[in-house]
Amino acid sequence: MEKKKALIELIDVTKTYDDENVVDNISLTIFENEFVTLLGPSGCGKTTTLRMIAGFVQPDKGSVIINGKLFNDLPPYARPIHTVFQRYALFPHLNVFDNVAFGLNNRSWDYLTHFFGLDEVTEEAIKITGGEPTKAAMKKVVKSKIDKAVRDALTMVKLKGFENRKVDQISGGQQQRVALARALVNRPQILLLDEPLAALDLKLRQAMQYELKEMQRKLGITFVFVTHDQEEAMTMSDRIVVMKDGVIQQLGTPKSIYNEPVNRYVANFIGESNIIPGTYVKKDLVNFLGVDFACMGYNFADGEKVDVVIRPEDFDVVDVTKAKITGKVIFSLFKGVHNELEVQIGETVLLLHTYESYEIGQPIGLSIDPYEIHMMKVEVNE
Amino acid sequence: MNKLYRGLARPYQIWLIILVFIPLLAMVLISISNYNASLSLSEVQITFADWDLLFQHQTLVAFKNSLVYASLTTIISFVLGYFVAYQIKQSRIKNKFIILTIIILPMWSNLILRTEGLLNIMEENNILKSIIGFSLLGNIAGTPFAVLFGLVFTYMPFMILPIYTALEKIDISLEEASQDLGVTPFKTFWKVIFPLSLKGVVTGSIMVFLPTMAGFAIPKILSKGNIVLIGNIIDQKFLYTTFNDGSLLAVVILIVILGSLLIITRFDKEGETLL
Repeated sequence: MEKKKALIELIDVTKTYDDENVVDNISLTIFENEFVTLLGPSGCGKTTTLRMIAGFVQPDKGSVIINGKLFNDLPPYARPIHTVFQRYALFPHLNVFDNVAFGLNNRSWDYLTHFFGLDEVTEEAIKITGGEPTKAAMKKVVKSKIDKAVRDALTMVKLKGFENRKVDQISGGQQQRVALARALVNRPQILLLDEPLAALDLKLRQAMQYELKEMQRKLGITFVFVTHDQEEAMTMSDRIVVMKDGVIQQLGTPKSIYNEPVNRYVANFIGESNIIPGTYVKKDLVNFLGVDFACMGYNFADGEKVDVVIRPEDFDVVDVTKAKITGKVIFSLFKGVHNELEVQIGETVLLLHTYESYEIGQPIGLSIDPYEIHMMKVEVNE
Repeated sequence: MNKLYRGLARPYQIWLIILVFIPLLAMVLISISNYNASLSLSEVQITFADWDLLFQHQTLVAFKNSLVYASLTTIISFVLGYFVAYQIKQSRIKNKFIILTIIILPMWSNLILRTEGLLNIMEENNILKSIIGFSLLGNIAGTPFAVLFGLVFTYMPFMILPIYTALEKIDISLEEASQDLGVTPFKTFWKVIFPLSLKGVVTGSIMVFLPTMAGFAIPKILSKGNIVLIGNIIDQKFLYTTFNDGSLLAVVILIVILGSLLIITRFDKEGETLL
């Protein structure tokens, strides 16, 4: 992977409300053109972290550095960052067009000429007047440029023709697109998204996930996305930050987080999984459920207790006679693509997915490939 | 709905009909008649003969006074009241209900009593002077300022409450969204907060404008009879038992009120800012 430039750096950031560290000593670097998701249950500090980047919340300790500059005390309106809010926060007194144009319409003249390029504006103004680029002509050029930028943004989010609608006359999905266009029209360096899909129904949510990812790739903007939905995080992110109680639990690509959760919490939060206590016998051999399994890629002390993580879809269902472990099906549910089974082996109940259907009470044989076995250090305080 | 509950609504409905609708109707009829106390009922007839009252100098001045005082009271109440409402909304105090209660606290005492009290401290020798030695409002009784002061003092809460309600309904995330889009807090106020609170401003303005326009007690007491509003003329007409003149002027005010209510309903379809 090419060397990327760090865009947002959070260094030892802490935020305390009522003696509770909502965000506890977080350090996080987000690179240019990255899609990073802050994932965790409500109250884990992900939204507070986002709001600190946006500038709505000032950290009590630590620094927020953006583009190499300390941003701690910079107010939100001075940051090159825009946010798509959870409930969109569209202005009810403005129509769709004016909502999207809101940011540009209220900028200073200097900002706008810089935004659209002073030379370009001057040149077009000369074309209009045929001589001196008068201020009036330049104003006209900027106005038409804002107009065009807004229309382009609306086209991008597929809302062409909705310009004059009131924001309460469009559906939730459309409101969400307006919110997106309203932020993107300002060409932010960083777009923050605070659970923007939470209020949409499943179908729409999935469609928007792909669109957002597409947009991020096309525009080259850094997206920082906040969600409690692990599937959403998996689909869109380049990297996921799993948080709990204001602390980062794990940071990594969706794949690495799914396959190699660092602790029970992450394993449980990201998808369903079976966590089985076991013993690391020696290199590439682990014992659990009373059987020795070949494993690979982990280094623990010989004889150390470990937690073994196996995803429900990673079990291989085999003939009972050839199986490493055998058990009894105690629950079976048809889920469309697969069947969800609960299998009892001794005292342990395993959750597994298989394409074949089993009756309750049927014996079943299982084996596990070495690379499907993941291990974590046993946590003492849980 | 339950029959018993419907029955319980009856007394007030009857009260409304006898004491509001019938008198209103009578007032409209009397306004187009020559009815006054010196006529016996058989002599009463429909006539527009007394309608020239509307164009008499005294009436026009009173109308003008009413409009001027009502407008000024509304504007002053709006300018001062808006920021009080905004302050309350912004304050971190948890129980804002208490502040609102304090604001309407003066209304718990009788209007006439309050106004007479106000008059006292506007006199040259007043109770404040005898207690603390000075009175900032001393010696203004009878002036237009005294009347205006009394009107604003009395009707300000009617401006503050609907504006506060409207402000409280504005989602905080709208303010954040505006700042997030690069708009300074000052500009955010004018571009987002103020336009969204306009409903409250309209409601409040009408709630201040109407009673000031039609009222007569406050100007009568505080101007010591120097300043005549339309309400004072109506008061006079009924006092001197020229019922048809009084009714006519009252009908004019009624039309103004109905017009205002029409404006309210256009701005505020759900009636949500009306407390």
